[in-house]
Amino acid sequence: MATRARVVRMEPPAATGGNALLVLVGLSVVFLLIVALLGVAKSGGSLISESNFLYVALIFYAGAGALYMGFGVTGTPRYVRYASVATSIGLVANTLAVAHRWYLSGRPPFASIYEMLLSFVWAVAAMTLIAEKKFGVKIIGSITMPLAVVCVILMQLLPSEVRPLVPALQSTWLHVHVTLAMLSYAACALSCALAMMFLIQDNFQTESFLAWTSAMVSAIYVGIVATRFERWGGLSVTGWDAQTKSDIFLGRGMRLFVTVPDLGWLFVIAALAAIAPLLLYFAGRVKNDGAFYGTANKAVFISILLQLVVVAAFVLRVRDAAYPSPDQDGLFPTSLAASPFLLGGMVTGIFASLLYLMLLWRRTDLQGLLPSADTLDRVTYKTIGIAFPLLTGMIAAGAYWANRTWGSYWSWDPKETWAAITWLVYAGYLHMRITRGWRGRRAAYFAILGFGVVIFTFLGVTYLLPGLHAYA
Amino acid sequence: MAFSLSYIPKRIHKTFANLRTGIVLLILVVIASAMGTFVLQRPATDADKLAQAYSPNTLRWLDRFMLTDVFHSWWFLTLLGLVSLSIVLVSIDRFPNAWRFYARPYRKTDWHFRAALPHKVELPIKNADDGLNAAERALKKLGWPVDRVAYKNEPSLYSERHRFSVMAVYIVHASLLLIFAGGIVDGIFGYSGFLALHKGQTGNVIELRSGGKKQLPFALKCYAAGQENYADGSPKKWWSKLAVVQDGKEVESKQIVVNDPLVYQGLRFYQSSYWLDNHTVDSLQIAWVAKDGKETPLQLQMNQPVALDGNATVALVDYIPNAFVRDGQVFKKSDDIENLAFGLEVKDRATAEVTKVWLLPAQGAVLGGENLNYQFKNPTSAQDIALAAITGLEVSHEPGQWLVWAGVLLMSAGLGVAFYMVHMRLWVVAIPDANGKLVLWIGGQANKNRDRFEQKFNDVVEGIRSELESASATPRPARKEQPERTLAGVK
Repeated sequence: MATRARVVRMEPPAATGGNALLVLVGLSVVFLLIVALLGVAKSGGSLISESNFLYVALIFYAGAGALYMGFGVTGTPRYVRYASVATSIGLVANTLAVAHRWYLSGRPPFASIYEMLLSFVWAVAAMTLIAEKKFGVKIIGSITMPLAVVCVILMQLLPSEVRPLVPALQSTWLHVHVTLAMLSYAACALSCALAMMFLIQDNFQTESFLAWTSAMVSAIYVGIVATRFERWGGLSVTGWDAQTKSDIFLGRGMRLFVTVPDLGWLFVIAALAAIAPLLLYFAGRVKNDGAFYGTANKAVFISILLQLVVVAAFVLRVRDAAYPSPDQDGLFPTSLAASPFLLGGMVTGIFASLLYLMLLWRRTDLQGLLPSADTLDRVTYKTIGIAFPLLTGMIAAGAYWANRTWGSYWSWDPKETWAAITWLVYAGYLHMRITRGWRGRRAAYFAILGFGVVIFTFLGVTYLLPGLHAYA
Repeated sequence: MAFSLSYIPKRIHKTFANLRTGIVLLILVVIASAMGTFVLQRPATDADKLAQAYSPNTLRWLDRFMLTDVFHSWWFLTLLGLVSLSIVLVSIDRFPNAWRFYARPYRKTDWHFRAALPHKVELPIKNADDGLNAAERALKKLGWPVDRVAYKNEPSLYSERHRFSVMAVYIVHASLLLIFAGGIVDGIFGYSGFLALHKGQTGNVIELRSGGKKQLPFALKCYAAGQENYADGSPKKWWSKLAVVQDGKEVESKQIVVNDPLVYQGLRFYQSSYWLDNHTVDSLQIAWVAKDGKETPLQLQMNQPVALDGNATVALVDYIPNAFVRDGQVFKKSDDIENLAFGLEVKDRATAEVTKVWLLPAQGAVLGGENLNYQFKNPTSAQDIALAAITGLEVSHEPGQWLVWAGVLLMSAGLGVAFYMVHMRLWVVAIPDANGKLVLWIGGQANKNRDRFEQKFNDVVEGIRSELESASATPRPARKEQPERTLAGVK
């Protein structure tokens, strides 16, 4: 009797532990929705607007992300059910946002980087549901949902007003080209997530994940420090004109930078904290001493806390403030909207580190939840089998359109060139897989690399390399 | 030394017919292309900007390695050529095998072949002929074509679908070569240039992108050109009304807009830009005053006489963007729009006497013609002066583009087949099983998408099983361990 009673008493805490996250996520979703509703009611605006829909989508995607990750940590199957419900609601809200924008502008939302992200997030969420329902890869949302959240946050910072189409964009081929691009990019994102799942299932060492995660976070922070650190510890951010909602330009192509005092040091510290686990990992490799890895994991924890502090400090100090500029006298306003990619990079860093922690703590549970390594490997290949023809179609439609607009089907514009490079990378993957029999790890690395190239083609080229393809 | 002579081509063949070489070449192409996007490129970037971006020494080295124009450098083109060579040689090496496989499918059912097949099932039968007949009926019902094969006195069935999908990979590679070929044709025979036309102007000489000029075998006339704006002032549409003039006759006309070019004799004329010419006035809105003080509005166009009354005509004959006046004479100072001057000619019908009148709106002055019966007023606002529109046309001749589009279509078809059409094969033979009992042995194989094929294979097996059952006079009880899955239309 006594033992049974104890067993019965043991169960409920575990069950409430399983419910805790559901309750927490549910409450925060409701809270955020009510706050937003009150905000709308106070301002007297219309409920039916693209930004409201997008806000709802953001909340539900974030909730779904939390539940997917919670599933990863605890293995409670209920979480996945609620997570896919949340994803579906988010997708509906996202669809409504797209539809509303489409209705207002009278054309599909494909004409600016904001609109492309809107469609991209939609495709990612849709493909997550497909992967979950069709391929049974339940945990994939813990990678794709954070990606969707980062994208929606980025979108909040990008200029979002509906602009009329410039003459070159007034073509049916715009829609064909961009639809194909977004679908293929989303399929590439999915293949990358699947390849990471494969690595987990394939007993890829947790320490190697540690190395890669901290290398990525270090790269983000070292990159920011290298390009934005000013004298006397300031951080350089772009000046922002609140009235026209655009960057302030000194001259043609010369943006005005303002310096936020002392913030630079914080980024230096965060960069050092991000590098520390990497150095400890290498020390562990060289000395062949597992103790270093333990310290490295603690360092990752410290790094996450610092990253959160840095993001908070960045948001607090950069949001709607005015700072001096080294180029011009006087104080100039700045806003979070002026630094979407700094913020995007930082949030990505936090998500990557959190995913690593999830892996570190719950590796065996995760492995139990995932389909077999063989299945993941095959599904990765299948998604690339979807992405590659779409990519080909995207390039072909783009070339045909360019031929009608610029008078040449191929002009070696950076965007074109990088699309071709992406195509070649995936072509390389297919060749290695089909003729050389590359399976498993090497194929997975290739898939992850491929998505890195996709991200560069999508966002990097637009912001770093000048060219004809200036719209997005 | 005969050794080295015969060895070298063999060695080259061996090197380039190797997939590893192909991959290395692809990696080189990727690196070169990436460099071409990171280093500023010559045709697109002005010399000034390049000089600003790089030190003279760096620029000299970049130029020496042609890194400022990667995509037109001999070494990049060589690289693409080697990639093509590699594709051709690899394909030639692999093609015969694939063709043999395609032309003479393996239909026999040796025991070692049977042992290697991934999917196989044995169904007990009483009689070889009845079993095979039942299997044939079942396969036909499911839409599989069936061949009867006799091998070593073992009658068997062979069936397959989508055999051509094994050739898709060659189609994809051939289509890539077709696209390259189109690019080469355009590189050699194609050209592109620019033609700027005023409203009403006819032109047939284009300025080539590569420098120099080219005379076209026909001329292009611009009837009108314009720009439409959105409410916020950003451009909505540029258009030009064009006509092709050949041997003095107008043979074709079209209003082009961005995204919709005029095509004539393989030449394409694109709306590329639109601007106003500082040096040419299209029309001028002024007024003239008669002796009795009556004021009449007057719309003038360059060199087109307008009747004032029965006795005289006036024409706009001169326009100077920036003029100065000395000793009552008007001279041109520069081409910047600053101090406009319009020259009118008034012609008396009776005497044919011509009087020159200058309008200087900036000073509010009128020079000359003081003795005439007609006095002229300056234009009152900027809207009265319409500068001539110039339409900028991009001209391109790309005879190879049809090869490119053919290649693109072929590639789409090839990829569709390569990724989504599965070559599936089935073999059915009546043989004794391990215990010597007669069984119907069914084996199958697919070249991709194995799990989907497994389903299809199970469907086939179930179909044959139920066909066997319905054919046998004494129906056997349904097997308990495998739930009976019936297919629509089979039973």
